[in-house]
Amino acid sequence: MERKTIFETVLDYGLTRRDFLKMCTALAATIGLDFAETNKVVAAMEKSPRVPVIWLQFQDCTGCSESFIRSTHPKVESVLFQMISLEYTEALSAASGYQIEEARKHVMENYRGEYILAVEGSLPTDDAFLTVGGTSARETFIEAAKGAKAIIAYGSCSSWGGIPAAYPNPTNAKPITHFVNDKPVILVPGCPPIAEVMTGVIAHIITFGTIPELDHLGRPKAFYRHRIHDKCNRRAYFDAGLFAESFDDEGARQGYCLYKVGCKGPTTYNACAEMRWNGGVSYPIQSGNPCIGCSEKGFWDNGPFYVRRAKIPASQTTINPETIGAVAVGVTAAGVAAHAAITALKKKAHEEEE
Amino acid sequence: MSIPTNPKIENEKMKIVWKKTKRAKIVPINDRVVKVYVWELPVRIFHWINALSIFLLMITGIFIGRPFVSAAIQEEAYYSYLMGWARYIHFFVAFIFTINLGVRWYWVYKGNEHATSNPFRLSFWKETLETIKYYLFMKNKKKHYIGHNPLAQLSYWIFIGMGSIIMMLTGYYLLFEPQPESIYGKMFMWVAYLFGGNSFSVRSWHHLVAWGFMIFTVVHVYMAFREDYLQRNGTMSSIFTGYKIERNSDEHDQ
Repeated sequence: MERKTIFETVLDYGLTRRDFLKMCTALAATIGLDFAETNKVVAAMEKSPRVPVIWLQFQDCTGCSESFIRSTHPKVESVLFQMISLEYTEALSAASGYQIEEARKHVMENYRGEYILAVEGSLPTDDAFLTVGGTSARETFIEAAKGAKAIIAYGSCSSWGGIPAAYPNPTNAKPITHFVNDKPVILVPGCPPIAEVMTGVIAHIITFGTIPELDHLGRPKAFYRHRIHDKCNRRAYFDAGLFAESFDDEGARQGYCLYKVGCKGPTTYNACAEMRWNGGVSYPIQSGNPCIGCSEKGFWDNGPFYVRRAKIPASQTTINPETIGAVAVGVTAAGVAAHAAITALKKKAHEEEE
Repeated sequence: MSIPTNPKIENEKMKIVWKKTKRAKIVPINDRVVKVYVWELPVRIFHWINALSIFLLMITGIFIGRPFVSAAIQEEAYYSYLMGWARYIHFFVAFIFTINLGVRWYWVYKGNEHATSNPFRLSFWKETLETIKYYLFMKNKKKHYIGHNPLAQLSYWIFIGMGSIIMMLTGYYLLFEPQPESIYGKMFMWVAYLFGGNSFSVRSWHHLVAWGFMIFTVVHVYMAFREDYLQRNGTMSSIFTGYKIERNSDEHDQ
């Protein structure tokens, strides 16, 4: 059966071609294309059928799904009903149980090599921790991954292991890249990722038929190329040397830099400062809360959120480097003083002997 | 008048250094005392540029990590550039530090016997052990060294050698990480894999090793003064003039 193209689906929903072009223009902007390239998006949407998507959830909190359904550009309705065909999702599917599992198997057979596998949550290496309906999560994932065109790891858990993998990692949780190596995997970390980044990655795959350009860690460059710190709306205060010292001081009221209250912006790669959240309304730093670095690997173990720390290599221990450093230098100085005293006494004793 | 030679110096053959060829210049003062040109001019220049660099890098570095003063003019960011200047000085000095160290590496090959060190010898480690015993006031067979003793050499390998390399690699990674597409960004991209995988762990290394330099400085300065105090051989002035005083015989013990 010939599948309807995205354009035809849009018309079916009672929208005009003008609405369709508006959608394509917004989409081009979201995935970081030049305005002049909008026609590429239009051409792709006119030709491409809706892409089937299987969305699996493992050791997660559904936060990524919650973020996804708040996408504004493109609107989540247009993504769900026009661009993709979300065939299986635990959070949003109307059907359940036997029926929905059949639907998943149906997609995996009929659209082999065409469907996109979206994964939310990490996987435990020990099946005992996550087995649903007699099938381990690991098997479910590997089976679904086999026929997938590409895999999208939504969120820090599926990308890095995330909170389930935080120390002491009781389930021995691993990122999904640990279980698959013959498929392109796009990492979209964040706790949760920005909704428009989530839909933008799918839009890119539909538009160009390929996965977006990835950085050395496997994240789409379009969204994870820059540090929050370098795009921050409070950056001027950082360079000026104006810092909020606590959450209730004058600096905090004036909107000073949150560096000294533990902002992880300088070590975090994400698009928050450019795309912002909830349709571009705001993002944590703009709202007065320091970045917690949620899209970085092991963010949960990188020390307290509201304090600047350094991590002792190959450990889970974070320390205040300046305090510990000063103490270490003090101890050394005390040792030196003691050594000097002994040296002087010994020398004196030696001279008296002579 | 023939130049009196120090039999102790001649016999030592400088077992623990790399080269035997270029001996330090010896200038007689009188029958009993000679002065040895231990630290050549490039070594002394390196030492002081390095010391000043480390001082400036540490001050600005602590400020960048934990800004201990705020800009004087409050409210608007427009009037101040305090962190900007701290960062600028930090980066500028970092380049001087790097070039300076490069010159010093060149001098390892070009300089005299005291400008080099060879830890790939068993005698180096045996003598290091004797030197440690000496500093712990234990019975020891530590020799008399005109240049650095092997423990001092080891500390330079660890701090000025390894420490500097770690600081430069992590530092340049952090400097260029906002431009991952640039040639410099790509040059140092691999550093993250070596130091824990992400920006935070690279930064942690940079902070912790910086304090290693501070501990080194305290011990280094103390040891230099102590040597001067015990040997009365001009150790402290030698880093300005290059000369140390040695007896022109082997009558002294260590």
